[in-house]
Amino acid sequence: MTAALLQVRGLTKRYLGLTAVDDVSYEVEAGTVVGLIGPNGSGKSTIVDCISGFQPADGGRWFLDGHELTGLSPHRVARAGMTRTFQTVRAYDELTLLDNLCVAAQESDGVGWLQALGRGPRLRGAEAAAEARGRNLLATVGLAEYAGAPAGILSYGQRKLLTIAASMMARPRLVVLDEPVAGVNPTMIRRIEQVIHQLNAEGVTLLIVEHNVDFIMSLCRRVIVLEAGRTIADGAPAMIRSDPRVLAAYLGQRGAAELGHGRR
Amino acid sequence: MRAGWLRALLVVLGVAALFAIPRVTGNEYVLALGVSFATFSVLSGGLNLVYGYTGLLSFAQVGFFGIGGYTAALLVTEQGWSLGTAAAAGGVLAALVGLVIGYSSLRLSRHAFAIVSLSFALLCLLVALEWVSLTRGAMGIPGLPIPTVSLPGGLRWRLGRPADFYYLLLGFAVVAHAVIYLVVTSRLGRAMRAIKLNEPLAQSQGVNPLSYKLLAIALSALLAGMVGGLFVFYLTIVDPSIFDFYYTETMLIMVIIGGPGSFWGVLGSSAALAALPDLLRFTTDLRMVLYGAVLIAAMLLFPGGVGGWLQRRRLARWRRPGVMAR
Repeated sequence: MTAALLQVRGLTKRYLGLTAVDDVSYEVEAGTVVGLIGPNGSGKSTIVDCISGFQPADGGRWFLDGHELTGLSPHRVARAGMTRTFQTVRAYDELTLLDNLCVAAQESDGVGWLQALGRGPRLRGAEAAAEARGRNLLATVGLAEYAGAPAGILSYGQRKLLTIAASMMARPRLVVLDEPVAGVNPTMIRRIEQVIHQLNAEGVTLLIVEHNVDFIMSLCRRVIVLEAGRTIADGAPAMIRSDPRVLAAYLGQRGAAELGHGRR
Repeated sequence: MRAGWLRALLVVLGVAALFAIPRVTGNEYVLALGVSFATFSVLSGGLNLVYGYTGLLSFAQVGFFGIGGYTAALLVTEQGWSLGTAAAAGGVLAALVGLVIGYSSLRLSRHAFAIVSLSFALLCLLVALEWVSLTRGAMGIPGLPIPTVSLPGGLRWRLGRPADFYYLLLGFAVVAHAVIYLVVTSRLGRAMRAIKLNEPLAQSQGVNPLSYKLLAIALSALLAGMVGGLFVFYLTIVDPSIFDFYYTETMLIMVIIGGPGSFWGVLGSSAALAALPDLLRFTTDLRMVLYGAVLIAAMLLFPGGVGGWLQRRRLARWRRPGVMAR
């Protein structure tokens, strides 16, 4: 068996006295879509912030395709091939959709500052390639007709789609989506689900952090469940659904017991 | 494409018209206004690069301006350097200082940078007053000689008439704005705007904010230092008043009224605001009151500056019914 694309070992993060993430280890195999769920405050987003370099971890190491990412700053993590989206939707409102996407590609195409200022054939080639990829991705997420519009005009759900497209621009090995469907209406959720399937079919590996359990259960073949900073389950959705610890985490001990006895 | 050519033509005609002014009128007052516009437009253009495009509020521009002025004055009077090399050296020194204060404070936050840049400007004033053996204190360095600039082809241009300084500073301003324009319209400018609009998002896409911020600071410091080096020879004196808060205030007003992040907006407001205090001279008593009234009116009409107003109109066009219909 080959090594996993993402390996996280013993990740720990403490805030003053509170241990938000406690010795969490997991792996993500190349080509898969893995879900990361857990109740509020279970440490999901902290894990994303730590492995993407936005927060320093207090312990643990993590690797992308064998290259250590531990302690790298966010832009270095992105350049190493792991990009992420944010829970709070982030976009460059004043830039066009196409520029929103092209920015996300420009640091990985090897064209330097002087070449960018000189506007030679190398730059024009790289920018044309980025533009073509950007238009393709906009078509994938269904925003092609607004390519020249500023991102500020988009609705909340459309902005979520734009950020997913942007996270794909630099052809990353792994994309971490932080709550891609939080606050999105059901029609748009189906759209996002299709987009994720399509991108995965094109070879992108995804790690999806979500609140929406149904969304994750239908999308992922493997789900990791966190509670209070620890991994309490890791497996196929069917197994997760019946895991007593998962039920206890979501419904409380009593609720799980009642469900277990079929009484409700 | 056609709009691009039209704009290029307008720019060429505008610059040619500005260069033709001394031929039309020998009025020294008009030329003085022109010098003031050229100088301030370089300062506000640099501030726009740092604040308008990259999102870093900076009070350090006046410090770079004065460092350039002092450096050039000292190199010419004490070391016998030519004006061109002395002003260039002033710009390079200002850029290096900019890199030091930028690198040390930006590792904390952009707010730290704003505070450090303010302290830096005040420190410059203090150094100019107290380091008497170098700067001659409050007296400054008066009586700067009439400089001679060597031109290509062995020509030597002695800047003896007011029109000469007008040509020199206007020429430098054209070059400075061309450089700024080249940067902000390139994808480096796009990355700077991305950093201003949403820094964590830019980081998550591989953009290193620190390097772009340092580029913006160093370039604006270089231009401010060089224009300072040239401007003090027009004044024929450099003294601690070159670090006066008046310069900072004027630059900030020009950028805010013009619209942070709008190249043409800030250039236009620099021209308007360089001329405005003098256009209001017809009423000596109410002059500054009217100046204040114009600024208030501008902020009420254009809360995001002229550039921000144009941006909003662009947004409104996309929001018109029908355009967004699925």
